[in-house]
Amino acid sequence: MARGTNRSPRRKGLSYTKYGYIFIAPFVIVYCLFSLYPLLTTFWYSTANMKTTTADFWGFDDKEVYYDRYLDLTKYLGDDPRIDSSFDNNVGMKLREYNVIRNFFLVQDTADQYAPLDSGVKNIINFGTNDFVSQSTLDMLQQCYDNDSMEYMTADGYSELNAWYKNYSTVNAEATNMQSSMSKIFTTLDAIANPVSASEEEEEAIEITPETIITSEEYQEFLDKLADTSNFDENQTLWMDYLASEYADEVSLWTYFNKALDDQALISDPTFYFICEHLQNPSAYVAEEGEDGETSYASVGSVSVDFMSDLTAYLTGNDWIDVVNNLDSFESLEAYGAGEEEVPSGADTTLYEDIQSLQNAGIINVVSYVYDGTTFAPATDGENANLLYSLENYNPREISDEERLVALQISDIKAYWEAQGRADIASFATYADSADAVNVDKYITFNGEFSIKKYNQFKEDVMPMGWTETLADKFTLDFYDDMNDVYMDNVRLVNQYKLDNEITPAEETEAAYEAAKQMDIDDHELLQYYNAWQESIIYTRMAEEKIDNPPTLYSKVDASKKYLCVGFDNFKEIFTSTSRRNTVFGAFVTTAEMWVVGFVPQILLALLLSAWFTDTKLHLKGLGLMKALMYLPNVITAVTVAIFFRRLFSYSTNPDALPPVQYILRNVFNDPDGYNFFQKAWPTRLIVCFINFWMWYGNTMIVLIAGITSINESLYESAQIDGANSFQTYTKITMPLLRPILLYTMVTSMIGGLQMYDIPQNLNMNPALINFNGTYIRSTQTVLMYVNNMAFGKAAVKQVGIASATSVLLFIVTTVLSLIIFYIMRDKDAAKAAKAKKLARKAGAAK
Amino acid sequence: MSNNEVKLRSKSGSIAAYSALVYVVVIFFSILAIIPFWFMFMNATWDTFNVQKSIKLWPNFKHMHQVIDNWNNLKERSTFSFAIGFKNSLIISVSSTVLTVYFSALTAYGLSVYNFKGRKTIFAIIVGVMMVPTAVNITGFYRLMISLGLLGTKWPLILPAIAAPSTVFFIKQYLETSLSTEIIEASRIDGAGEFYTFNRICLPIMVPVLATQGIFSFLGSWNNFFAPSILLNRSENKTLPLMVAQLYGDRYTDYGMIYMGLSASVIPVIIVYAFLQRYIIQGVAAGGVKE
Repeated sequence: MARGTNRSPRRKGLSYTKYGYIFIAPFVIVYCLFSLYPLLTTFWYSTANMKTTTADFWGFDDKEVYYDRYLDLTKYLGDDPRIDSSFDNNVGMKLREYNVIRNFFLVQDTADQYAPLDSGVKNIINFGTNDFVSQSTLDMLQQCYDNDSMEYMTADGYSELNAWYKNYSTVNAEATNMQSSMSKIFTTLDAIANPVSASEEEEEAIEITPETIITSEEYQEFLDKLADTSNFDENQTLWMDYLASEYADEVSLWTYFNKALDDQALISDPTFYFICEHLQNPSAYVAEEGEDGETSYASVGSVSVDFMSDLTAYLTGNDWIDVVNNLDSFESLEAYGAGEEEVPSGADTTLYEDIQSLQNAGIINVVSYVYDGTTFAPATDGENANLLYSLENYNPREISDEERLVALQISDIKAYWEAQGRADIASFATYADSADAVNVDKYITFNGEFSIKKYNQFKEDVMPMGWTETLADKFTLDFYDDMNDVYMDNVRLVNQYKLDNEITPAEETEAAYEAAKQMDIDDHELLQYYNAWQESIIYTRMAEEKIDNPPTLYSKVDASKKYLCVGFDNFKEIFTSTSRRNTVFGAFVTTAEMWVVGFVPQILLALLLSAWFTDTKLHLKGLGLMKALMYLPNVITAVTVAIFFRRLFSYSTNPDALPPVQYILRNVFNDPDGYNFFQKAWPTRLIVCFINFWMWYGNTMIVLIAGITSINESLYESAQIDGANSFQTYTKITMPLLRPILLYTMVTSMIGGLQMYDIPQNLNMNPALINFNGTYIRSTQTVLMYVNNMAFGKAAVKQVGIASATSVLLFIVTTVLSLIIFYIMRDKDAAKAAKAKKLARKAGAAK
Repeated sequence: MSNNEVKLRSKSGSIAAYSALVYVVVIFFSILAIIPFWFMFMNATWDTFNVQKSIKLWPNFKHMHQVIDNWNNLKERSTFSFAIGFKNSLIISVSSTVLTVYFSALTAYGLSVYNFKGRKTIFAIIVGVMMVPTAVNITGFYRLMISLGLLGTKWPLILPAIAAPSTVFFIKQYLETSLSTEIIEASRIDGAGEFYTFNRICLPIMVPVLATQGIFSFLGSWNNFFAPSILLNRSENKTLPLMVAQLYGDRYTDYGMIYMGLSASVIPVIIVYAFLQRYIIQGVAAGGVKE
């Protein structure tokens, strides 16, 4: 009976325990598969030679495609005159034939970069109602979009878009040109109206008057030069005759300038300067009939006017100031030049007349003259700039935001359509089953994802001109193996060549060093001999090593086909290579710094608020609501917060488009230049710190409030009876009892802080750099951002080994921190009890 | 006597001043916590021209249709697709939360009810790995997903939720105080199977802790960015945080639209928070959240 009662529960118990295994099985299996196994493989990768990309890792089951894409043979098997090898011989095809493949990836990269379907085509379809493009083109774009391919784009459709874009660009460029002309004119005028006061020394110099100009030697020399017509070529003579008859109203310029000797007033005449200026800086062109029947223009050569600087100085100081001051449009010109106001059309006569009068006075020189066979006339076409003509015919058109947007979209499509290599493929490759030119658009993917399937289809369908086999037949693994052999042979040959011709044998440099030692030279020079000797030893050794054991072609893109174990080389690199050490440690330090600067105010504020919220004397009302509000930022997606702050602190000086913080700086603090937060390291970091602080102080506060309320009430009561004030109670009772919770908060926050990623990653993509021990690192790059960049970044060479090693370091740091927390948090009484029990059991067993 | 009275009065006066100061500070921080969201929502009602012109802290009463315009722009002109992002986030968050809650409860129950061999060791290991950040194994995890052919799908973000050490830990702590063996014994005597006992009798008892853990699991999954940004590469699979992250990437920036996108990603969370904030704050206070 006794036996029975003893046995049955045990048997029952036994039969139930198996359920324990069943119940925890899903957890254990999933944990092992999705956490433990990846963790172990990460450890394994950290000891593997995975510095460079490996096809295996990136899931390129199709190695040929992988090599096609990343193994650019032109880089490794190009021409090398030293060993008499050429690309054609090495690869067994012409560069252009090989480039069919290279061009495919160029086009694919352009498609990835500009996403012509997702941004360009899609948006133009959305704007379709605005009559920017014709219905047929719109249908074509719609077809492209629906089928997710640019292959439905026709040449006609594209040329319509392109024509629209050209038209837009012309209008846009015209306005820009007009503005820059106005800006230049204003600069000239401004210099006249506000002359730089001459230094005293210059004031002492002889004052320039018409008298001094005429009597100067330069004037006489100039007259002598004019007298001898053989000094000038045909075009110059034509130009000078034109100036003489049209402006000077004299037979020749020589008579005109002679007249000034008698009539000094002539010098102040605007025509006088006009002629001088147009002699020295002629904007005149003579049309010439080329052999091919096309007209070309020869510009008229400059005739140096020797007294020009004196004349300019005289006029600037006297007559011109009046001219400039009498202009009606002086101030508007400033506004036009700065782009604050739009340059008005030619209908605005004030501006036109002002510029004309400035031109006539010679102050500005903006009209070009063209010789048409009989006489010069102001140019009337775009080829030879004539501002007056442009201004007269200028009809500015306001460009709407929508137009700008459409232009932006078309520029994406243009970028793809004119992608480097796209036309080459069409002109040089044909379909294997017909002689038609290849439409590469068919094989390109536009969703940013490279499709191996489409690429393989391309290889199967396409033949370079003159080939009898398709690309797929040619570019096989065997082909790459052959290339590898060629490459290795070439490396041997090149290094042999270096040994024979380029590297000075060590014996020679050693002998030179020994000889130099005997001579009487200083240590510095001797060192150079020594270095030369050592260098030749090293170079010889390197070359010999490469001859014996040349690197494979695959090593350029694929460290090894297997995960070759290299022990702790990755860690060694992190700890010894200066730049690597600085980047990895810099990422850790950056993360830690940002955590500390965010955490200190966070914990201080949380302590203060929790003390207030639990203070029975204060009896705060609305506590629940306030707690709820302060915790709110913690539940919001960090990415959203980061993007929001990015907009908040972004930079612009355009008064019409100020981001919020710049707006406050300008309008409240009266700082028109604003402050570019994201250009400097610490301001950017401080924003990250602030976001962390702002998101987490509510959380910390609630944890601390819970901690404080769990403290035994009687402790406070007895303290109150003993006459302690609030501050004393807080420092003597609350703080010591809160210490474990504070430490817990700190360590958990530290572990969380080490994984900081979302906010710095999204706050600003191009943060400022900081100098960390001599290496420039990104000022907000955290450890996880570094891991992400190394393993999954945009670089073609993914450094999985380094990324994994960095992850392992992060793991070690977090584990150490976790151990600290468990040491702190362990229940001391329970630990003691367990120890006592163990001892007692031992004692019992001993009995 | 009168001296004492003065002292008392001045003391109560200083307390009043003190509490006024406290109120000012506390209200300041309460406002600081919500002003960015207010700012976001208000700016979402204006067009880009006005948003850039000045700071908008009030809604665009004159042209309320601007809200709809911004929303339409967001739908049509940007790569941000609220519908797709919301759907994906919802699928991932709901399924991973259900998995986390159910299987963590199962595991915690198995660990506390059955006295099998190695139970303590397993629990010690679970507590040990609680603090290990999931992000450290990302290269291995990525490789595994390629091998399993799951890269680019939602599964890598859902399946691992079955094993959530911290949730198991907190549920087990709860079970130790609130689950009595009598109920299980009674159920067994009535002939119920072990799974029936767990699903029908013990799971309802656990509802409070499951709800708290579920909320945190849901929020964690909803706000997750690191893993999805690496594992989800196709636009039709992107979650809301990924959509938000590319808001600024559009080449033509319509700020009314950007604020609309930000608001759209915030509003669902705020609505959920408004209803559940008491449980969330209780959960945080109980240490039920891992930072």
